[in-house]
Amino acid sequence: MKINQITKKNIKGDKIISVYWFAILFIVAGAVIYMVFLFYGKPYDFRKIESDILTTKISRCISEAGYIKDEIFEEGFKENFTGVCNLNFQVEDVYGWREQGQYFVEVEFLDFGSKQVLFSASEGNDNLKEFCDKKSKNLPICLDRNYYSLDKNGKKYQISILSIVRKTEKNA
Amino acid sequence: MRKINRHGELLTENVIFIILNIVFIVILFLFLFMKTGSAAVLEEKYAKQIALIIDSAEPGMVIYIDMSDAIKIAQKEGRDLNKDVVVIDGNIVKVQLREKGGYVYSYFNNVEASVNFDSESRQKYFLVIDKK
Repeated sequence: MKINQITKKNIKGDKIISVYWFAILFIVAGAVIYMVFLFYGKPYDFRKIESDILTTKISRCISEAGYIKDEIFEEGFKENFTGVCNLNFQVEDVYGWREQGQYFVEVEFLDFGSKQVLFSASEGNDNLKEFCDKKSKNLPICLDRNYYSLDKNGKKYQISILSIVRKTEKNA
Repeated sequence: MRKINRHGELLTENVIFIILNIVFIVILFLFLFMKTGSAAVLEEKYAKQIALIIDSAEPGMVIYIDMSDAIKIAQKEGRDLNKDVVVIDGNIVKVQLREKGGYVYSYFNNVEASVNFDSESRQKYFLVIDKK
């Protein structure tokens, strides 16, 4: 009689534990599914790398081995900046990207001593510039790089390159 | 006699309980593997990766990309590996592993890029970069 009572109690206890156990399993599963959707539901953000490559490409276009290329000082560079640097800012026709423009680049040549802008060239959607002082992953990515270079006469220049990539819908 | 029956019941309950637990964990892992290696994730990953590779490439380069995981899915879906999986049109890369789906991403490097399936390894694609 005693054994039966003990056994009965144990069965009830087991059943209660199994209910709690399944509740824990469902909570764990729910958390895992939530985390997976949180991680894989968002796109890969490649914009920082993209703006970095863009800046490198422009700097290679402007100067070589520490010296500014001659064609930069020639007429037509400002007007045909993308052509000289071999850039194509056409994008896929989604989210109204084509009309908007998803890139902006600006190159400034400053006098090394006075920091006065001697001349500059830019291309792309200049409205993107106003987002650079704000920080949010839903805003365009801005990359501002400066370096020092010489012309063939030995004059020193500070070259400032600002590259902006928007493409927010596919990256943020 | 009653005592033996109770033991029998307990054993069956435990076995069912363990089987259910195992089934539960297996389903959870299947979900994880399906999600991490899903066609949509791979399409996005490879389209963006190829666009970035072309952006940083110089004319004259030939670049190989291992896409074995994507190729497996494309084969299952009956896609033509030579024509349909990776397409470059203008300066836009499209990776499509399924009939319904696909991901497009643009690159800014103004070069002539073409993509070819490596029929020797059958696991890679290679990009040929030329001047425009």
